[in-house]
Amino acid sequence: MSTLVFVEPDDDLSLQALAFARTLGDVRAVSLDGAYAPAAWAAAIVSAAQGADTIVAAGSDRGNELLAHVAARLDQPFAANVTRIDGDVVTRIRWGGSLLEEARLHGSPRILTVAPHTHAAEAAGAPIELLVPDASDASPRVLERVEEQAGGVSLRDAKVVVSGGRGVGSAEGFAIIEELAGLLGAAVGCSRVVTSAGWRPHADQVGQTGTKISADLYVACGISGATQHIAGAKGAKKILAINSDREAPIFASADYGVIGDLHEIVPAISAELRKVRG
Amino acid sequence: MCGGLFARRGLFLTRLVLAGKPSPPRGDVAARARNEVVLVLGQRKLLQRLVPGLMHAFIFWGFLVLFPTIVMAAISAVDKHATIPWLGHQGWFMALVDVFVLLVLAGVVTAVAIRKVVRPQRFAGSHRGEADLILALIAGVVLTLLCWHAARIAAGLNEWPAHESFLSNALSRAFPHGPVLERLFVWAHLCFIFGFLAYLPYSKHLHIATAVANVWLARTRARGKLLALRFDLPDDELRFGAGTVADLTQKEILDAFSCTECGRCQDACPAHATGKILSPKLLIMGIRDQVFAQSTEPIVGNGVPEEMIWDCVTCGACVEACPVSIEHIDHIVDLRRQRVMVDSQFPAEAEPMLRDVERSANPWGKPQTERAAWADELGVRVLEPGDPAPEYLYWVGCAASFDERAKKSAESTAKLLAKAGVDFAILGPREACTGDPARRMGNEYVFQGYAEQNVATLNESGVTKIVASCPHCFNTLANEYGDFGGNYEVLHHTELLAELVDSGRLQPKAGSESITYHDSCYLARHNDVRLEPRKLLNVIGQPVEMKRSGKQTFCCGAGGAHMWMEERGKPISEERAREAVETGAETLAVACPFCTVMLDDGVKGVGSAMRVADVATLLAESIDAG
Amino acid sequence: MKRVPLTGGKMVLTADEQAIETRHLGFTISPHEECAVEEAVRLVEANGGETVVLTLGPAAAEEQLRDSMAIGADRAVLLKTDGVEWDAQATAGAIVDAIRAEEPFDLILFGNESADASNYQVGIRVAYALGLPVVTGLKKISLEGAQVRCECDAGGARDVYVVPMPAVLTVLEGLNLPRYPSVPGRLRAKSKPLAVSEPARPPSQLEKLRLVVPAGQGKQAEILGEGPSAAPRVVEVMQSLGVA
Repeated sequence: MSTLVFVEPDDDLSLQALAFARTLGDVRAVSLDGAYAPAAWAAAIVSAAQGADTIVAAGSDRGNELLAHVAARLDQPFAANVTRIDGDVVTRIRWGGSLLEEARLHGSPRILTVAPHTHAAEAAGAPIELLVPDASDASPRVLERVEEQAGGVSLRDAKVVVSGGRGVGSAEGFAIIEELAGLLGAAVGCSRVVTSAGWRPHADQVGQTGTKISADLYVACGISGATQHIAGAKGAKKILAINSDREAPIFASADYGVIGDLHEIVPAISAELRKVRG
Repeated sequence: MCGGLFARRGLFLTRLVLAGKPSPPRGDVAARARNEVVLVLGQRKLLQRLVPGLMHAFIFWGFLVLFPTIVMAAISAVDKHATIPWLGHQGWFMALVDVFVLLVLAGVVTAVAIRKVVRPQRFAGSHRGEADLILALIAGVVLTLLCWHAARIAAGLNEWPAHESFLSNALSRAFPHGPVLERLFVWAHLCFIFGFLAYLPYSKHLHIATAVANVWLARTRARGKLLALRFDLPDDELRFGAGTVADLTQKEILDAFSCTECGRCQDACPAHATGKILSPKLLIMGIRDQVFAQSTEPIVGNGVPEEMIWDCVTCGACVEACPVSIEHIDHIVDLRRQRVMVDSQFPAEAEPMLRDVERSANPWGKPQTERAAWADELGVRVLEPGDPAPEYLYWVGCAASFDERAKKSAESTAKLLAKAGVDFAILGPREACTGDPARRMGNEYVFQGYAEQNVATLNESGVTKIVASCPHCFNTLANEYGDFGGNYEVLHHTELLAELVDSGRLQPKAGSESITYHDSCYLARHNDVRLEPRKLLNVIGQPVEMKRSGKQTFCCGAGGAHMWMEERGKPISEERAREAVETGAETLAVACPFCTVMLDDGVKGVGSAMRVADVATLLAESIDAG
Repeated sequence: MKRVPLTGGKMVLTADEQAIETRHLGFTISPHEECAVEEAVRLVEANGGETVVLTLGPAAAEEQLRDSMAIGADRAVLLKTDGVEWDAQATAGAIVDAIRAEEPFDLILFGNESADASNYQVGIRVAYALGLPVVTGLKKISLEGAQVRCECDAGGARDVYVVPMPAVLTVLEGLNLPRYPSVPGRLRAKSKPLAVSEPARPPSQLEKLRLVVPAGQGKQAEILGEGPSAAPRVVEVMQSLGVA
């Protein structure tokens, strides 16, 4: 049994995928050189994968994209975001993780990505083979990378995210969320309804169709906890929900809860933080 | 010449009104006639403010009484020895003329005093110079009338016993005996009258002519009912509300012509009172300017600022206050309809609500499967297709189904109905939003989709009687679904509960808690439900009234889809909460889930610990205690 | 474009565990695709041409096709299924057949992944079958003559691709803010052309066996308190997590 794993340098999700792949047998970890060119990279992976019975990558944007290319090129099925595999039966996540699907993967090789945060990452340092894509390949490639204005802490990588939902009530209502975020060195997030209401930009949206976070603590204020939101928040190690509705579904996904009006509770937490810090 | 000016302008204005979209046919002649008597002749709405009301009534009644003197002056101008047969010879009539000359003058003096000394805020934005000119003309008309009569007596031309017209007779003593002065004053009098006549249709005083028609055409009942649009017409007949003046209805144009800028609407408006841009008066004036200019530009953004139409909570305080039956809500909703349905331009925060109503059948976007979760442990019957119809269908509404503060009212109501042995059921997941928030926001199309769907569900289930928790649902079910084939006997829960207490089926314990009751606009003002909630509170506590109550209630700030919109400036809810707190009552009773949520926030906002609870909840507690 | 149900806080499955229970649920266009439709309409508004919206789904998916036409798509193609879910390969195959039967398109837009199945591959498979270049995960699209400039998020930066048309692009929510449909638009959409065909479903290569609601659902949070008085407890927890 041999598994080819596509690994991105300095990527925790790739190390998670690598750990997952080890459970399947022999592993050959590969990475690619040069500007990102999904079709050309996929071609290189396909050539390298000759003889491998499984091709694995992280269930990241890039991992999913590359293996979809690989699968299209080989005309084989591809299971995205798999949490476990048993022979040809995979369990994969749907609805951003709110639902699991057990499915039979009929292809060969088996092509799959590993759902983020479902396996512990292995320590970095395993040998990674560097593949060189075909330079004459004219398929789309990244021509330039435009750095964006750094606007505070990045949502995706923040250690703490303080997020507001419909309960915040207005764009101005986010002042108390920003205050608490400021004290915690946290990024500010929001739910989809907040984006639709025009209170925050889409870039702040946590959710299945927004940013998927990986914070140590996610503070969800006035967010009811629709599945589409939880899909983006579940990467957080701990979730603290503040909501006036004790029946709100968010409490079924949270580790800690405070019941009551966020407009009173959030400033109280900020005040307490200040007090504790003197 | 003045007649020509009057006629030309009159024709022009008539053409403008007739160019409007036909307003729907209106029956109910008896009620319309009663309105003319009470509102026009009786001046009822004006007299709600005593001093300005009497001021106006004196001038108005004066003109009715003095009208024959215009004819007399016209006849006499041609032949100084002629007058109207019989009436011109009646001393009592001439005495009456003198009395009303005095009353009109008193009215004019009061009006000047109000405008120049008291200067109430309601005139902000009104054309004050125009008002001054009109008052001067009125004074001129009656003063020259008085002088003419006096001069006539002095010249011995009076056909009536001079001593009976006490005032003109007294004044005549100061006049020389020749006919010159008499001629001078009759012509002066006619000049004032013709001048007034010529100026009238060019000024806001036009209301003299239009108010009668406007009162006739106004709603006679179900004031909370909006007029339905039709989407099944050929393209060139479709109307999506009001974009330009060409889209206005005849009634809306007549409304605009009837406004005399008195500002009573502005005074009553909760949005205006809390510093918003909206003034119902300026709205109507803005529309009138556009109509006069025969503008082809969009009304919103030209005659009417955009924010104005979104500030409105459709509470109807302006409509209630207007002496000439202008129906401001129709204008607001028609302007919103254009912005939402045609331009897709409206406050962004309302978009999730509109999309959630449309896609998830409730404005919170919760799944319908969770609609009856509040009733899970109460054993409430959920009506499935094919089940026998209950006596009462309990229409819970989205707020009481999904909002945790409002749920209590649904729980209490259900418990009480069960305790009283009422045969009732809920529709559970088959109950969809009535469409009210979408309709008040301006999306008639989405509203009608739900109206048709809900009417189909209710009719298929054989429902005949409905008890509704939410006054907004109540208004829609009772007044608006008739247009879509849904005719039911609809009660608000306070009405049914009052009936159950009356008949002894519920026996609450008398209490001593002091309670003030907040009238919901859609109950008290739009639907005349005022007594029943008070009846209940009288039994279970000691009611104390707020300054503004009943028909004069002050909105909580949630109506007109504002439950889902941001409020600029001071919150209306806090303004109302302050008033409630001032009563010193321990509890603020409400009968609407929106009021519950808004006023609970409002009370907290003003730093009070006053409890806000639905009447049903208070009643249930009292019965549990008993 | 894909029709998906609006799920709430929890998933409930049908008895056969093949689908989620959608009785009483509303439906919508999967969010990424909603932006794809909006983008297509904007591109055509700015540059001329025609927008065709296509879906593979049950007859009821006509609702989402009409919604798309209400915001400006010119016509629609419904590849009607009997309600059973198709896997990504079969879906892509049916779409390829439908596209081949049409005039050539300059741009073929997809959502990056559907909200429900989240297979991340249909657009890419279609591109390979049609021999077209494909770029995924886009947050910005602009036409530059016969080429299209594409941008996607790359963690605090934007990666830029420029590809010749015709091309396949898959987009993400946030690319634009889909307009609120006007009523004249909705009424016009009722009479816009909608072609229906019923392709045969090939055997699934990724064969769904059953759906499972993950065990994590239904855990209850530890309630730290009610109201502002809970603040000290909250801060203690934050300190224990090392974030305060």
